[in-house]
Amino acid sequence: MAVSLSTWVLISNFKLAYNLLRRPDGTFNRHLAEFLDRKVPANANPVDGVFSFDVLIDRGTSLLSRIYRPATAEEPQPNIAELEKPVTAEVVPVIIFFHGGSFAHSSANSAIYDTLCRRLVSLCKAVVVSVNYRRAPENRYPCAYDDGWTALKWVNSRPWLQSQKDSKVHIYLAGDSSGGNIAHHVALRAIESGIDVLGNILLNPMFGGQERTESEKRLDGKYCVTLRDWDWYWRAYLPEGEDRDHPACNPFGPNGRSLEGIKFPKSLVVVAGLDLIQDWQLAYVEGLKKAGQEVKLLYMEQATIGFFLLPNSNHFHTVTDEISKFVSSDCIKTIGERIMQCIGALLCVDYVCLFKCFLG
Amino acid sequence: MVLYDSATIGGSCSGSSSSSSSSKPPPLQQRQQTQQDIDGFLAGAGYRVRSSELRKVAQRLERLETAMVNSPADLSQLASDTIHYNPSDLASWVDSLLSELTQPPTCPSEFIMDPVSNQTVVSDAWTTAEPHMPQVHQNISYEQQSLNNQLTVVPAMEEDSGIRLVHMLMTCAECVQRGDFSLATSCLEDMQGLLTRVNTVCGIGKVAGHFIDALSRRIFQGIGGGSVNGGSAYENELLYHHFYEACPYLKFAHFTANQAILEAFDGHDCVHVVDFNLMHGLQWPALIQALALRPGGPPLLRLTGIGPPSPDGRDSLREIGLRLAELARSVNVRFAFRGVAASRLEDVKPWMLQVNPKESVAVNSIMQLHRLLGSDPNRNSPIETVLSWIRSLNPKIMTVVEQEANHNQPGFLDRFTEALHYYSTMFDSLDACTVQPNKALAEIYIQREIANVVSCEGSARVERHEPLSKWRTRLSGAGFRPLHLGSNAYKQASMLLTLFSAEGYSVEENDGCLTLGWHSRPLIAASAWQAVSDGTADFPA
Repeated sequence: MAVSLSTWVLISNFKLAYNLLRRPDGTFNRHLAEFLDRKVPANANPVDGVFSFDVLIDRGTSLLSRIYRPATAEEPQPNIAELEKPVTAEVVPVIIFFHGGSFAHSSANSAIYDTLCRRLVSLCKAVVVSVNYRRAPENRYPCAYDDGWTALKWVNSRPWLQSQKDSKVHIYLAGDSSGGNIAHHVALRAIESGIDVLGNILLNPMFGGQERTESEKRLDGKYCVTLRDWDWYWRAYLPEGEDRDHPACNPFGPNGRSLEGIKFPKSLVVVAGLDLIQDWQLAYVEGLKKAGQEVKLLYMEQATIGFFLLPNSNHFHTVTDEISKFVSSDCIKTIGERIMQCIGALLCVDYVCLFKCFLG
Repeated sequence: MVLYDSATIGGSCSGSSSSSSSSKPPPLQQRQQTQQDIDGFLAGAGYRVRSSELRKVAQRLERLETAMVNSPADLSQLASDTIHYNPSDLASWVDSLLSELTQPPTCPSEFIMDPVSNQTVVSDAWTTAEPHMPQVHQNISYEQQSLNNQLTVVPAMEEDSGIRLVHMLMTCAECVQRGDFSLATSCLEDMQGLLTRVNTVCGIGKVAGHFIDALSRRIFQGIGGGSVNGGSAYENELLYHHFYEACPYLKFAHFTANQAILEAFDGHDCVHVVDFNLMHGLQWPALIQALALRPGGPPLLRLTGIGPPSPDGRDSLREIGLRLAELARSVNVRFAFRGVAASRLEDVKPWMLQVNPKESVAVNSIMQLHRLLGSDPNRNSPIETVLSWIRSLNPKIMTVVEQEANHNQPGFLDRFTEALHYYSTMFDSLDACTVQPNKALAEIYIQREIANVVSCEGSARVERHEPLSKWRTRLSGAGFRPLHLGSNAYKQASMLLTLFSAEGYSVEENDGCLTLGWHSRPLIAASAWQAVSDGTADFPA
């Protein structure tokens, strides 16, 4: 049972700092939280092949997002008018990322999340849109989901994010902790809308329920986090008076909605073995499976929460590899599908047609 | 208790934040990094911890956790009451919290765990320090980032005309830099034509209009500044006043500086504030009132206000001094005022300030130091001269507020680009404020700055804004050390902002300094300094 020193220092520091911010009466010391949070500005100068800029996607709610893009060889330093230049590749995944923080902490411009999003760009050759959603307790359910939904609609309607192949935006939703929860619920909202979400990536997603599960009892207080802390965050996010079986918290619980027969995106769910809410995350995976949805579980036995923030463990690399495969598999599958289609049609058509099918 | 190890994967951790390798050599600043052993992983998260101290910090964190669990007090109340400083310096922050939570050291053996015995339990799992990682991309060092890359793209940009305007502005600026004035002129004409088809009341159209004017001025009137710097003292004061009212930048400056000055004067009975630009003295009523309410009673306050001479025979400095004296009298603060009229800050000599060796001095510079950065080959560098005599006064504190922008770059195009970004953001923040009569004049105030940055050179160009990172280097080199602004100042600044109707302003903490920005782009930075008591100061080359 071992964690790298830097990771331990980082996570421990966060957890202890967070203890200072939650007040027993349910309010939150927002000023101190913002003071302590290490933030970084956007940077349109590519660093390690990635540049970023901030966009106000909804003035009414001051909803900012930070966009991360891979720098191209011919454009070493994009100027202000070229930030939203159309993507040029056949298929460009666009990952809408929701940062973690249990609905109350952190921002899109927090240093840890800026770093994480930059990694995602390089890893998946993707554009990443990190949403600075409104936080609890000042903004309760469903604000975070509303902001996620606004971001999804915005991303989907950007011509410059459309892949060349089919002039559509190839969207993935991703998030850690509360961000994972948001990703699920935004995907849910997308179902009837006609906006295609190609996949959900949930890192230590934040779910819960009224019942006290085995992992919660076993790991309560073991890694700087207690059950009481989680309870506080749910009380801060959920509507007043609601309990943890509210579907926002417990999507497959007594008040949840069945996903059977629904076209829900495939999911990649990462669970850390030292996370006290893992039983809820595993229940989420089961819930998806029972509804016939495609889901892959990565259970990292030795990992604590936040292990993916620093690239210094086996777990980190396992997870990044899986994410990369998860996002790129659509491209491969599509080409493979096309080949199969063409081979199937071989009997009836000549070679010219075959090439046409393949190229598309 | 968690045991640590240094499980890392050899080879695949390059310390950079992405898996794609860059074939460029590491940036110059990385190689010049004086603190080579900073943990690269934590640096990427915004924390400065020496690799050699990681284990110690981890131990302290463990102790902190224990102290928190055992603490009878409400932690959140404790956190509120404590003043936090510079969270990037994690070791110090953890220590300061520990000292808040643990008893005073009358019985050290009860509370301080013996690090040696602690180590035997975990030493097997804690192997030696992780491999030294080269710096991750520099989130915390502004040297790494050329500031013309901080952007806020406003939705109006999505109009094709808006984007075309920006393209053309850049092209025009590039022509100017190359000296191709005929092409620049035709660009200007095209832009003026395009302006008629774009909304110039707000958004990119309005900002573009100002930049087009400034370029026009440069091309047709030359770089002597014309009437840009002209404007009577009265006009300048009027515009300043409207800018003060319409948006929070100056209020933030005054507020933050006053807070720092108040703290620096704590326990001192004779205090002397030197204000580098008195204007209407808007900063000082609040300080006078705060001093009046000081536990233990107010000090004797002297205020020396520097400002331009009044052309029309009025002694405006004295008038303001009288008003402030009246206010001080009404709150029972012993007060004395002196005005120093000087058209340029570098003409002020320290003897004019008549500083008494017994008094504690605060030097207050709100957007004045950058005006000293113009270099005249015939004279000593004004900034060096002024910083030197400030230091000779041995002030208790020097408060410095400056525009957070890189508008002093030698290359015209770079400067132009940076200014376009900076002022777009500033105008956007102004647009978001409710309509008020102040706005139009506030915009003219800003417009004058733009015109100076874009159309002037040499001694006429006084708006030579430089970012915090450069001021840090310069001031450290001149023999000053930073005084950190803490969470109390931060909180009060944040609360000040809530009084403004437009959401989108944000205060951020940056290595002991505070910045105020709009939608995550810092626009103005406040810092505090003290003269280092010994040693020589080496001025930057």
